[in-house]
Amino acid sequence: MTTTMAPALTEPGSSPLHRLRHHNTTVWVTMLIASVASLVASFVLSIDAIALAANPSADLGCNINAVISCGTVGTSWQASLLGFPNAFLGLMFEAAVITLAVASLGGVRFPRWFMLSAQAVYTIALLFAYWLFEQAMFEIGALCPWCLLVTLATTLVFFELTYVNIRDDNLLLPRRLQNALTGFVQSNLDIMLVVAWLLVLVLSVVLKYGDALFA
Amino acid sequence: MSTRTRLRTQERRQAQQAALVRRSKRRRILVSVGALVIAALVAAITVAVVQAAGHERTLLDANGAVVAPQHLTHTGAIAVGRADAPVTVEIYYDYMCPACGAFEKANGGELDQLVADGVARIELRPIAFLDEQSSGTEYSTRSANAFAAVADAAPDRVWDFHTALYEQQPAEGSEGLSDEQIAKIAADAGVPADVVDGFTDDTFRPWVASVTREAFDSGVQGTPTVKINGEAFEGNVYAVGPLTKAIKSAADDR
Repeated sequence: MTTTMAPALTEPGSSPLHRLRHHNTTVWVTMLIASVASLVASFVLSIDAIALAANPSADLGCNINAVISCGTVGTSWQASLLGFPNAFLGLMFEAAVITLAVASLGGVRFPRWFMLSAQAVYTIALLFAYWLFEQAMFEIGALCPWCLLVTLATTLVFFELTYVNIRDDNLLLPRRLQNALTGFVQSNLDIMLVVAWLLVLVLSVVLKYGDALFA
Repeated sequence: MSTRTRLRTQERRQAQQAALVRRSKRRRILVSVGALVIAALVAAITVAVVQAAGHERTLLDANGAVVAPQHLTHTGAIAVGRADAPVTVEIYYDYMCPACGAFEKANGGELDQLVADGVARIELRPIAFLDEQSSGTEYSTRSANAFAAVADAAPDRVWDFHTALYEQQPAEGSEGLSDEQIAKIAADAGVPADVVDGFTDDTFRPWVASVTREAFDSGVQGTPTVKINGEAFEGNVYAVGPLTKAIKSAADDR
């Protein structure tokens, strides 16, 4: 039953790569890897946050230079926006995403209301992750590798979740929009968009901090 | 089925076919555009990385060594005052460090006088360890680099420039002074225009980094660190008097 939805976006005669990309297993495995990466990063950042709480000038493993510095980012007010370290949010929510991915790999189909709620919550998570990225980049002026991993992983989870919800028509969208999005995904334009987007992020980091990173 | 309906069905099928062809053509174009955008981004990243890496290399001389300013003392400091002054006062400082600003405020005038009287020779060691306190603009390194450039090409303007930088010291955690502001301060302190224009060449960035490393390796733990004839001064550096007294008594011992 895990493959019942997979052929929906593949046409007969499509390339093996295309079929692999749209295979149900690929989608959930990607989400699983990204959410595990995000959980690990959140765990490290949580431990760092505790170390920084005990000693604000604690020497963290990822304080590499002026630009790559978990300490600078970790002690900023943005790092505890809700009054506790943001990384705790990752510990709470990534576990749920991992469960979702594993259950789906095992053949569970979640009801539409569940997937719709997941999309809503994860959209907020994505906005939060990008707000943090923007703040670190332009206000704090330092990057921390684990935070960047969270940004990347959050993007990938959001991408796969949205993919599934467009594929399974879970988003209660007007028909025209739903059809347009299905066509968009079918043509693999979605994956191009994500790749281009991630490259834009890399480019902006290199342009702003290249001199310090490659010193 | 009449001939007419058959024809109409055929027409409809043809129209659908045409629409399908149009749609797949449009998608192919979009995919090509997407591929081009991705290729362009990859190219831009490559260029940016190569430029950033090359930029660093141009800061070193032909042998890949750090370019140090001219006129340094044999211990690698930037000196102010007569070489035969009896007391040497070494100062390790960062232009971003508020405590250094307080030190300068309290003792700048006194040191000025001691230098003028020929009692003390000041050896300045600008270090940059607070780069992360300037919102990514690396103010500590930029200001120290500018200072080294002045020491290199306009050594008689060093002290005025140093004093002026502290008079207009930016707050810790701000973006620091801009390159333009640093240039203006230097020009106002009498640094020649061609020297000021050279600040943004970043010639002495590696030197600043090496001074910073050496300072911490030699046991400096923070700034300001003041040494009188090589001995760390442990008194109050934020008040007028204690340092002056210590310098004068060191001079009397000679």
